[in-house]
Amino acid sequence: MNLRHVRLTFGKEIREALRDRRTLAVMILLPLVVYPLLSLVAAQVAMGREKNREERPSSVAFSGTGPARDALEARLGGKPTQFVLLPRGSLADVESGKLDSLVEIDAPSADTLTVLFDASRDESRIAEERLGELVAKVLPDGCAPSFAMKSRNLAPQARMGGYLLSKALPLFVVLMVLLGAFYPAIDVTAGERERGTLETVLCAPIRRVDLMFGKVLAVAALATLTGLLNLASMAITLLQILRLTSQTVVLDVPWGHALLSSLVILPTSLLCASAFVALGATARTLKEAQTVMLPVYFLTVAPAMAGAIGEYRLAGITTWVPGMNLTLLARDLLVGRASWSGAIATLLATAAFSAVALVAAARVYASERLVIPARRDPKRPVNVRSTGAGDAMTLFALAFLLLYFVFLPLERRNLAAGLLAAEWIGLFGLVLVYARMSGQRFAHVTGLGRARGRALLGAVLIGCGAWAAVAVFSEWLVPVPKYVLEGLRKSIMPVAGRSHLWTLVLMSLSPAVCEETLFRGPILRGLGTRMGPPATIVLTAVLFGLFHLDIYRLIPATLLGILLGYLAHESGSIVPSMLAHFCNNAILVTLARAGLDQRIETLSHRSLTLVVLASLAMTGTGVALVRGSAARIQL
Amino acid sequence: MPEPLARLDGVSKSFGDVIAVVELSLSVNRGEIYGLLGPNGAGKTTALRMLAGLLVPSSGTACIAGRDANTEWAKKQLGYLSGSTGLFGRLTPREILDYFGQIYGLEKSDIRERVARLVPALALENILDRHSEVLSTGERQRVSIARAVLHDPPVLILDEPTAGLDVLASRFLRDFVRKERSRGKAVLFSTHYLAEAELLCDRVGFLHHGRLLCEGSPAEIRARQSASTLEAAFLSLADAHEAVP
Repeated sequence: MNLRHVRLTFGKEIREALRDRRTLAVMILLPLVVYPLLSLVAAQVAMGREKNREERPSSVAFSGTGPARDALEARLGGKPTQFVLLPRGSLADVESGKLDSLVEIDAPSADTLTVLFDASRDESRIAEERLGELVAKVLPDGCAPSFAMKSRNLAPQARMGGYLLSKALPLFVVLMVLLGAFYPAIDVTAGERERGTLETVLCAPIRRVDLMFGKVLAVAALATLTGLLNLASMAITLLQILRLTSQTVVLDVPWGHALLSSLVILPTSLLCASAFVALGATARTLKEAQTVMLPVYFLTVAPAMAGAIGEYRLAGITTWVPGMNLTLLARDLLVGRASWSGAIATLLATAAFSAVALVAAARVYASERLVIPARRDPKRPVNVRSTGAGDAMTLFALAFLLLYFVFLPLERRNLAAGLLAAEWIGLFGLVLVYARMSGQRFAHVTGLGRARGRALLGAVLIGCGAWAAVAVFSEWLVPVPKYVLEGLRKSIMPVAGRSHLWTLVLMSLSPAVCEETLFRGPILRGLGTRMGPPATIVLTAVLFGLFHLDIYRLIPATLLGILLGYLAHESGSIVPSMLAHFCNNAILVTLARAGLDQRIETLSHRSLTLVVLASLAMTGTGVALVRGSAARIQL
Repeated sequence: MPEPLARLDGVSKSFGDVIAVVELSLSVNRGEIYGLLGPNGAGKTTALRMLAGLLVPSSGTACIAGRDANTEWAKKQLGYLSGSTGLFGRLTPREILDYFGQIYGLEKSDIRERVARLVPALALENILDRHSEVLSTGERQRVSIARAVLHDPPVLILDEPTAGLDVLASRFLRDFVRKERSRGKAVLFSTHYLAEAELLCDRVGFLHHGRLLCEGSPAEIRARQSASTLEAAFLSLADAHEAVP
């Protein structure tokens, strides 16, 4: 072996790979961002689950009488946050989920009580755990009557099997379908382009929308097949395990429910196929398609995982979260507790998302982007630098990493210092360094330029008005738990005290200047080189929402980000978006300090409607004022 | 005078700030081979893509047999082939021809009959049932030709079809194009191999920076530029064009 040649080849390959920004993005930056983000989501879901458990009392009823009942009832009455004592209840109530646990007193003089619960329901398991703890505390007292507790699980073997399967199988199936759609979608879109077959087909008398539908259906069919094969393989494996351990395992597989649950594969496949074909069609090469599609893959996996590990119910907002809704529906079907309303809402939401993806795909297929995917300017000299989409994503990833690994720990030690450092070093400083390294003027990179008076007036109206509508809409979608609100209030009004002016500097002025400098600066402009204004504004806003590292602030921050992106785009400057951002934060901080935020929670429905209408009117007027107020940022 | 089978009329095309083709007009008649010549990046492919209905002109009109090129009817009148034309690698030539034949609205029996006619003409006997990905470049190009002419279109657009082909394969392709001309087809042929154009084309047009510098038969152009070859004529025209401030 010629080691010199090996070394030379190694060096050349590494040099080439490191110069390919897409490889860097996928191999290095994406995982570095995704795993901290997933860990944050998982931690917040786990904390939410724990808080929910603490906040939700278990419903318990007694059957039979005796001193044991009297003693235990007295104990239960002393713990109103943990137990709600119902006057009566039956086995059927526990089985149907109306009651968490039934405590049976075998005989008036008996010293044994039996806790009847349904181990296939988490709420019922918690009730049994709590009762166990309560009885254990009664026993060592000496003054209390001495009795023992037995537990009896009412869930049939098949339902227990379904319950255990529901912890892993739905997520696994959704993941497999995603993967099953991922590579075929890349192959039929970017792969066709790379192999030169797409142009051949486009010259033929076939309508592009027909071509697109054919491809979507093919990808959906392959994804469905992948999902079904995986499900069948898992089922066979499970069957074998049950056969081998039939002496010890006391559960059964609910095959009927499993089959019903497998129907979720169909809408999942259609959604994945539509979204991936739409994305793949915009990519020039296989590699580029992977780069474009991987973030979407992870963004779908994250809520699916949250659905699998969290104790979410399939109702309300959860039916509208892609990935999570289908995982929850598969889970509910598996345990035989799916509701018609949840299933219909999930299918409607999935159909709506699929329709949006199909429309997007149809637009790509109808446009010349299908033939010439990227807007390139071959006449631009190589040495002229401007911010591209790759730069935008790299800047976001770097800002995210700095925040997660450096500034968040600092904020935990010293909130004010951490906040200032995160904003002025992690965001503003980052853009400064980027501008210097790329040889561009800071004002050019960020869009820091003069704005017209009506744009500034519009910004003030949006900044002062939008918060109420954003807050009410977000709360309606994802209610913020009390402990999260308390945490926010504490950060605005620390126990040690802090002046209002200093709080405004920390939480309004700094974020307004620094976050706008990065997000509505190079990120908005860079992403705008690859997609149209609406998509650019929304994607920038989603990144802005993710940057807040809080699932409960994701939606309000994203909604605000859309307005701020619109401001920057229409006015051609980030000054209006800075102004609006400052006004928005300043109002929220001031309301919190004055305790008015808690009073808003107690407003009547009519008053709240008036507040929202006023908010919408101000925002609408602001939007109208800003519209076309200056040379738009070229997105 | 009969309507030209392929016509670009004052066509311009720009991509953002980049202007690829500027007010290009040309026409190809029945039984004629027209060579669109020019260096890489001259705008040849963009012009052909507009005629093939792949791109829509920013201004001007592109017509096939008198109708807008961007219609299904126009596409049925067209056979399009380029040097970079790919084949579905995991399908056999027979399957590819069957797929395209059906897209062009041919009956299964028609497809079988036409494939049977094309097999000896394009020497496809031994490759018809092999996966396309294992075929050589020349074999792949022969299959592509079969795909382009399967529906017997009156117009053929060939975008640098000899790029990457060896001498024998190039000659085979030129012979095939001549036969198609003799059958009354209008052939629009782009290449940057000027010697090849001289051998093949009835008329040629020189495209440079998206503009048509001159048009005529190879002999006329050589005479007009007092050049011994088309290459010398083109260089002289390009130099004159660059010299214009």
